[in-house]
Amino acid sequence: MIAIKLAYKNLVGAGLRTWLNVSVLSFAFVLMIFYNGMIEGWNRQARNDTQDWEIGEGQYWEQSYDRYDPYTFQDAHKPVSEDIAAMIDRGELTPILVRQANMYPEGRMQSVLLKGVDPNQKILKLPTSDLNNVQNGYSAIIGRRMADDAGLKVGDKVLVRWRDKNGMFDAIDINIAAIFKTDVPSVENGQMYLDINVLQEMIGLPNQATLLVAGDNSSLSEIDGWNFKTTDFLLKEFDALIQSKKAGGMVMSGMLLLIALLAIFDTQVLSIFRRQKEIGTYIALGMTRSQVVGIFTVEGGAHSILAAIVGAAYGIPLFLWLDNIGLSFGSSSQDMGIAVADIIYPYYSIGMILSSLLLVVISATIVSYLPARKISKMRPTDALKGKLQ
Amino acid sequence: MSIIKINNLEKQFPVGDGFFTALSDINIEVKKGEFAGLIGPSGSGKTTLLNIIGSLDTPTKGTAEVMGKSIAELSYKQSAGLRNRHIGFIFQTYNLLPVYTVFENVEFSLLLQKMSAVERKKAVMQALEWVGLTDKVDSKPSMLSGGECQRVAIARAMVKRPEIVLADEPTANLDSENSHHILRTMKKLNKELGVTFVFSTHDEKVMQYLDRIIALEDGKVLRDETQEEFAVRKNSQIYKTK
Repeated sequence: MIAIKLAYKNLVGAGLRTWLNVSVLSFAFVLMIFYNGMIEGWNRQARNDTQDWEIGEGQYWEQSYDRYDPYTFQDAHKPVSEDIAAMIDRGELTPILVRQANMYPEGRMQSVLLKGVDPNQKILKLPTSDLNNVQNGYSAIIGRRMADDAGLKVGDKVLVRWRDKNGMFDAIDINIAAIFKTDVPSVENGQMYLDINVLQEMIGLPNQATLLVAGDNSSLSEIDGWNFKTTDFLLKEFDALIQSKKAGGMVMSGMLLLIALLAIFDTQVLSIFRRQKEIGTYIALGMTRSQVVGIFTVEGGAHSILAAIVGAAYGIPLFLWLDNIGLSFGSSSQDMGIAVADIIYPYYSIGMILSSLLLVVISATIVSYLPARKISKMRPTDALKGKLQ
Repeated sequence: MSIIKINNLEKQFPVGDGFFTALSDINIEVKKGEFAGLIGPSGSGKTTLLNIIGSLDTPTKGTAEVMGKSIAELSYKQSAGLRNRHIGFIFQTYNLLPVYTVFENVEFSLLLQKMSAVERKKAVMQALEWVGLTDKVDSKPSMLSGGECQRVAIARAMVKRPEIVLADEPTANLDSENSHHILRTMKKLNKELGVTFVFSTHDEKVMQYLDRIIALEDGKVLRDETQEEFAVRKNSQIYKTK
């Protein structure tokens, strides 16, 4: 208690020096929370968007299907059994048939993945209902980036060539029925969505699917002949990216924290050097060396508490404001190939704030303790004289 | 009854490859309630001896017993406890804590004793009354004169009712009027409370207040005499000079 009281008095007494240290430390603290909040907000939004648009609550893959190996696509299809059909009817699953193809927008050849989807599905956010409002059967919906890359607009026709079940080439003009906007690039880059019945007919694989997307209300039980892939599996690349972003953020926050801690360390070294007489007086008045070390350690550590208070004073309104308006990463972020929303809303969890606070407090206390240890080697008689050690 | 007992004390400090002997062959006994002073020129060993009595330092050889406890044998915690409860210090440069008020400076030793707030306040106010500073309780040391600062230091040393007060050149930074005021205050506390005072000084003004004067020279006791003996010797020296 006496150490806290003394530390408070000395910190307030030190005036500007204290507030400079506290300001730098509070800035590090706020920036750390802000950065982690942004990454977490992005993480949550991107995970939600990817689930909503692409992976649902998990996917059942036909056994030979590997989304990373296009050579598997040709044979990766399986009839939809009656049980599965019943689940599809109940809205628990939605089938997707995948086929590799080429399209020729403006005479250029471009690889494209044809995906047959149920126009009436409700599991994914894809606007598949647009496929119901088409004039002829060979219509598709594509994403905005895909449309921009291929120079396609709604109503345009584009020649598409594919292989049927026998490996024979076939081609047809496909009408662009709608262009949708999404924050998830992996559902639109090089992809074209057709009515699954139409695609089945084009390939000659009636009632067949490559994968089944599970919805909220699916029981996620084993389905014979289909491999279930969890959301964690399907998002592992994204998670790896988030982890690397977090690591990058930690390096940046760590450097800022290091500067702040260096300032505290420097202040403590200077303080112990300048206040030797005071240290000698404490000892003469009956304090043990460890009590004096405690005073200086608490004093340094108290910088972090003040930094948290100062940081909260301007950080809380700032975070609330950012939470309200979000932060735009600009249009360039849409070309990163990963899910990035136009506006990211940061997410601050109590755990993240507390762990950041704990990190700042512990590290500030450690850097305060290191120079304070010197006191325990000081001769009280020399300290009283203010002799250089 | 001896409150301080020093036998064959020697104190050496390492200097370069060798040692400097600051004190040698010191044999002194100080009784409870004495108002004694160590006098001598700079470097005679006054402060070193005072530091050993105050358990801020230890002897190289011999023994120094304070209140029956051998200074050399005390652990660090025990010597801190001895200083906190039984020994008060008064320094030449006051050594007040600048960020504390007068009240808080005086209160400091009592905080270490974990005394209750009510008891602390009572004791601090009484100590400040002894030195006539009850009107300055909320002042910071920077707002006080040198004399007032030293009176705060006396109150800080006295507030815990110690058995011994060690005053190292307490008047060196004060003018004549303040010096006499300080000395009268300490003498009064010595008489009223029976506290033992040991000074280190080369101030003539201090010497006239002392009951016992121990002269040191080159780390040895040159003379150990009462005020009367000191005065007679001084007068005879003056007479001889005339």
